[in-house]
Amino acid sequence: MQVEAMQRGAFGWALVKLNSGEKFISEAGAMFRVSSNIEIDVTTRSRSSGGLLSGVRRMIAGESFFLSTYTASGGRGGEVGLAPKLQGEVAVIDCDSRNRWVCAGGSYLGSSPDLDIDTQFQGLRGVFSGESLSFLSVEGAGPLIVNAFGKLTEVDVAGHLTVDTGHVVAFEESLTYSIDKAGGSWVQSFLTSEGLTLKFFGHGRLYLQSHNPDEFGKSVGPLLPPRSS
Amino acid sequence: MHYDIASRPSYSLLEVTLNTGEQIVAEAGAMTWMDSNVDVHTSARGGILSGLSRAALTKESFFQNTYTARGGPATIGLGPGQPGDICAYEMAGGELYLERGAYLASTTGIETSSDFQGLRGLFNEGLFILRLSGVGTVFFNAYGDIQEIDVNGSYVIDNGHAVAWEPSLEYRLTRAGRIRSFLFSDQIIMEFSGRGKLWVQSRNPRSMADWVHPFRRVQSKSGS
Repeated sequence: MQVEAMQRGAFGWALVKLNSGEKFISEAGAMFRVSSNIEIDVTTRSRSSGGLLSGVRRMIAGESFFLSTYTASGGRGGEVGLAPKLQGEVAVIDCDSRNRWVCAGGSYLGSSPDLDIDTQFQGLRGVFSGESLSFLSVEGAGPLIVNAFGKLTEVDVAGHLTVDTGHVVAFEESLTYSIDKAGGSWVQSFLTSEGLTLKFFGHGRLYLQSHNPDEFGKSVGPLLPPRSS
Repeated sequence: MHYDIASRPSYSLLEVTLNTGEQIVAEAGAMTWMDSNVDVHTSARGGILSGLSRAALTKESFFQNTYTARGGPATIGLGPGQPGDICAYEMAGGELYLERGAYLASTTGIETSSDFQGLRGLFNEGLFILRLSGVGTVFFNAYGDIQEIDVNGSYVIDNGHAVAWEPSLEYRLTRAGRIRSFLFSDQIIMEFSGRGKLWVQSRNPRSMADWVHPFRRVQSKSGS
């Protein structure tokens, strides 16, 4: 298996080359080009506890309900091209078994089947600010593909760093983090829509995106005619 | 004629320099800037009927503008409506198919017409695609990065990501994979076969629209 992030300016994508029999997983709908001998299976793939509930949780996490599994069949290798919906760059993270990774719900593009993807829900504090705080937990060894809205920046955190939640793409779980308000008080933070921040401590890698997808959605959505439901 | 495609692939712009008397044809609305030596002529190119069918069937513009250099060399900048890549394709008497919206400009030796895609088109974005023929250069654009794929055998792409292909390729529309859940509306894919070139875009305007959809306000039910 060979996974390459194609750096194409504002429109990055990922090319996954599979040997015969190898599999890869992506967010359903992310595939836009594929060899004809690749079998595509759409499932509510999840961990042992999974099933439908896990699918629902994944939906809450801002991800599409379903994951697609690609298998190189016919005794041959093949390729899969994966692209995010929004403009932005793509990166491949080589996960190893030493550290788990945490990936923001909307930043997950694809992963090796050797990685376990699970959701975490951060609770009511996210609802309070109107922002959904949703993260996928990624465990195991293998490539993970993430996408950013805009430019992707890798930061080696040593000490501490405060990041607006809307700009977090993924981070190593060797970093400890706490959710905090951005303003002086919860009320102030709510009123100024500064939202929530994540405060990171320790050592580890962190990926940031230059733009906040929610902010973009909020600037475009209200300009469109209302939807019926 | 000399051309340069600037700032690829994110925000590509086609800059064309014409010698006196030379012409380029472009989609109405594509002109970004031009100097004072450029003479513009707007027409339903190929006649009213051809223009009508092109507009109605492929949703390309009814009008095309012909830009001519008068009284000296002229330069003109042509920009597509979507941010993304622009490709130049040299034609030597063959044909090229373009998905609707992909046409940007062409030299005067190129003819454009709409082509009926038959029942295959029922699932497609449109029943008709744009067929280009003749001798010269065609410029097409996309939403996102454009990748050229050399198909030898068969290759599959998502329906919303097709940009252009050579007529030596056949395609059929089908559904992807096995559907394990009734909840999932599966993606429609185009399976190309034969030998020829295929161009795909790395983003899909429909996916973008779907992404924005949840941010729309919800219509108030109290008024009804």
